[in-house]
Amino acid sequence: MGLLAFFVTQSLNALSQAALLFFLGVGLTLIFGIMRIVNFAHGTFYMLGAFVGYSAARLTGSFWLALALAPLAVGIVGALFELGILRRLYRRDESAFLMVTFGLALVLTELIRLGWGPEALQVEAPSVFSGIVFVLGEPFPTYRLFLAGAGILVALAIWQFLERTRLGLLIRATSQNAEMVHALGIDVNLVRSAVFGIGCGLAGVGGVLAAPLVTASIGMAAEMIIDAFVIVIIGGMGSFPGSLLGAVLVAFVQVFGEYYLPDLALAFMYLVMLLVLVVRPGGLLGKEA
Amino acid sequence: MKPAAKMTRRNVAGLAAGGVAAAASPWVVRRAYAAEPIKIGAPLALTGPLGSVGQQLKRGCELWVKWQNQKGGLLGREIKLLLEDTGGNPADAVRKAQEMVERDGCNIFTGITLSSEALAVVPKLDEWNAIFVSSDNGDGRLTAESFVPNFFRGNVSAPMGARAVSLFLRTAPYKSFYAIGMDYAWGRNSVSVFESEMKQAKKNFIGSVFSPIGTKDFSTYITKIRQSGADACYVTMAGDDYNAFLSQAAQYELPKKVQLLSEVVDLTVPRAVGDAALGLISSMRYCFRVDNPKNKEFVAIWEKEYGIPPDNNEGEQWQALQILAAGIDKAKSTGTKVLRGALETIEIDDINGIVPIRKCDHQAVQGGTVVKLVKAEGFSYPVPEIIATFPGDKTVPACNKMTFED
Amino acid sequence: MLALAPLVFPTYGMTLLTEALILGVFAMSLDLTVGYTRLISFGHAAAYGFGAYACGWLLLHTPLPMVAAIPLAALLAGVVAIGVAWVCTQATGVSFSMLTLAFAQLLYAVAYKWTSVTGGSDGLAGIPRRPGPLGLHVFVSRNGFYYLVLIVLFGAFLFCRALVRSPFGAVLRGIRDNEAKTLALGYNTRGYKIAVVALSYGLGALAGALYAPFAGFANTELLFWLLSGQVLIMVIVGGAGTLIGPILGAVFFLTVEHQLSNYTEAWGLFFGLIFIAFVIFAPEGIWGLIRARFVRRSAVEPEFRRGVARAR
Repeated sequence: MGLLAFFVTQSLNALSQAALLFFLGVGLTLIFGIMRIVNFAHGTFYMLGAFVGYSAARLTGSFWLALALAPLAVGIVGALFELGILRRLYRRDESAFLMVTFGLALVLTELIRLGWGPEALQVEAPSVFSGIVFVLGEPFPTYRLFLAGAGILVALAIWQFLERTRLGLLIRATSQNAEMVHALGIDVNLVRSAVFGIGCGLAGVGGVLAAPLVTASIGMAAEMIIDAFVIVIIGGMGSFPGSLLGAVLVAFVQVFGEYYLPDLALAFMYLVMLLVLVVRPGGLLGKEA
Repeated sequence: MKPAAKMTRRNVAGLAAGGVAAAASPWVVRRAYAAEPIKIGAPLALTGPLGSVGQQLKRGCELWVKWQNQKGGLLGREIKLLLEDTGGNPADAVRKAQEMVERDGCNIFTGITLSSEALAVVPKLDEWNAIFVSSDNGDGRLTAESFVPNFFRGNVSAPMGARAVSLFLRTAPYKSFYAIGMDYAWGRNSVSVFESEMKQAKKNFIGSVFSPIGTKDFSTYITKIRQSGADACYVTMAGDDYNAFLSQAAQYELPKKVQLLSEVVDLTVPRAVGDAALGLISSMRYCFRVDNPKNKEFVAIWEKEYGIPPDNNEGEQWQALQILAAGIDKAKSTGTKVLRGALETIEIDDINGIVPIRKCDHQAVQGGTVVKLVKAEGFSYPVPEIIATFPGDKTVPACNKMTFED
Repeated sequence: MLALAPLVFPTYGMTLLTEALILGVFAMSLDLTVGYTRLISFGHAAAYGFGAYACGWLLLHTPLPMVAAIPLAALLAGVVAIGVAWVCTQATGVSFSMLTLAFAQLLYAVAYKWTSVTGGSDGLAGIPRRPGPLGLHVFVSRNGFYYLVLIVLFGAFLFCRALVRSPFGAVLRGIRDNEAKTLALGYNTRGYKIAVVALSYGLGALAGALYAPFAGFANTELLFWLLSGQVLIMVIVGGAGTLIGPILGAVFFLTVEHQLSNYTEAWGLFFGLIFIAFVIFAPEGIWGLIRARFVRRSAVEPEFRRGVARAR
């Protein structure tokens, strides 16, 4: 394959991976930005999305319906958790959130295993995207193109949501000055529940979209959570554009690193994370933590 | 003053520790009576990326134990199977095996799934005074530099599988080769043996790459294989990773450009990926199609119980247990030292034909089978068709060695 | 009292207890930073794994006896940790935690791929318990090794206790409660933080170094972030800032994990629930509960009580 075709196909690959990372990271960064909670269970919500998506697709026979329903379900579970458990801990220090979300990750993983069994479950890609296209003469799976496109679409949608809608405004305001928002008579707790739910729902979207590519499996959460942390840290914890930047950066490092220097690719990613943290502790686009 | 406070604190600590210990009374376990049933320990990878392999070994063990007990057990004693899940994690394999030794008084092991788990366990066999008859572990080092006397390899090893493939390649048109393997003991060992075989046959071995266990996205690896310009690629994979690799390779139309060869393939793979596995050429350690009376009998028993033909590792597990049983019968005992002596020179005539254990490195000497996955009547997925067989003396390396001279 | 354990427990119980005590050292080492200085490290597995690999490598490739390899590995880790601590303490709060995580994952990635030294994901197998020329054979057997671990645990405990009761410890607690004020009082808080982090990693590595000859095996799982999370659980559930609490937490963790996994495959579920319950309802941990039960009279540790009240 020619050099140009190689770079283009690999970049498209990276973009599709970046999309998945972005879905996971944007929720994580929003939750941290608004609630100062490091959600260890975020990877588990992603995984939940994949499994619920699997069942929804089987029940309704439609991938698109699953894509609509599963994130909703995951978001509701997240919001319920916030209402039930996290609310009690706001007066405690940050480490309590850490612990509790870690515990949630354990519990949720087991519930998923009990519900769907330990085997990896295959989800069929929607037929319109299940073929191949030829990019500069090289075969490329259509589904990955779809993923890259979906990532861009969702990023735009979130951006518009934050900028144009009332809830988006409240979210941005709360992240900057929660007390002021409260003083203005807004129920900040409701905003927090909404944010947690939306964040988890976004992770769920990532899960459903990832399932046809990587199958719904119990190991999903553990695999992705660290990557999610890396991109959020590099991009800046609490920064929405940061999560986008982080996702793209990490995906490109992973794809091209794996190709040229497979032995060093993994270490290299963490090295980048370290360097960013040392030079800019708040992340590339974040505020000082 | 200070000493008094210290006493109080230590006393409470001691009380607390004692309290915890007492409360967790299962710690103080009644010694299991090791006298009557024969215990066979199987710490398997039932979950994780190689779970599908461990599940095969589990089925193989369970059916064999059931079948054997129906015939009256061994030495008139019932056989009891101890199953644990290690998740494919070598540290857990050591831990679970140690528990079986210390808590259950077990001194016979089989079914350890990953070569890395086996390599972690074998140095402890002497301390545990336990015998391990492997059914699945391929890494050549287990009968070479990591060999211990209590270890017996009942299965075809990775060098043997790689050798079968390379013997087949001597009369095949492919000239240049790339290789991909799972990044752990077995993957690396298998690829290195294949590489040395290709170099010895004066073929062009371009390079290799290893993917971590649990890799889900093989797009970069597939691109590397395509870009290498090889006309065939040797694949050492199993379980979920292999499924993902094959389906994605098909998506990128890799098999059209590059012939895929593999050291071993289980039926779970074509069953999972369907047509993506068509045309794959592989060595198989056990194939249900082998035509001899003992195998036909075994396949019948198997299909009666499970409804589908026995898989690669299921057959291997059966054979390993048959070897073990023959040893126990010969030794008239399950005592480690006596059993070891009996197993060292045992020979069975079973599903893979006549298979003796070689005294010098405890390798079960058996031939190699190369198959191609094709469409066949009565199967909804590609199945193996035997395209070459090689006798044991050609495919088994010299004692304690992993490579071949000719 | 623990010295009498071999008379009570069968072999398999002894193996479990030994591992629990090794984890106890590990958890206690983390308490120095988490409990006494409020520096939440997410990367403590790096200490454990490094210690295990270092000791394992020494035992496999040099003729050093076990009783020399173990402290040597811990010392090596402590020295390396000074550099790590220097980088990590540049930040505070969540950023500090993330930096520790980054280092731990970096070490994991390096160990995973550096097959020639670490054996990659297969790890180092067959690590021997070498007694050495002084004839210290007594530690090689199962019960003997238990006593070695017990001695190390006791020694480490005394060391940590002396440390936290010293002026050094007072500064740590000052940093924990109000860093700005401590800084304003003229203390080089950065220096103290570097010191305590390095010490904590060194002790954690000591635990890891004990693990290597205990299991005879070391692999990348010992460096994985899951272990960092688990040891954090041990500290919190046991009771942070008490030294004994984390040891109890480790014993509790291992026992519960073990017993539950024997009864049900879904043990993680109950474990997570127990953990969440502790975080919400019993933040002082097991040790806090025990103290509340047994140590009624406040003559003993008024300082501790003040600390608990403050944590509320």
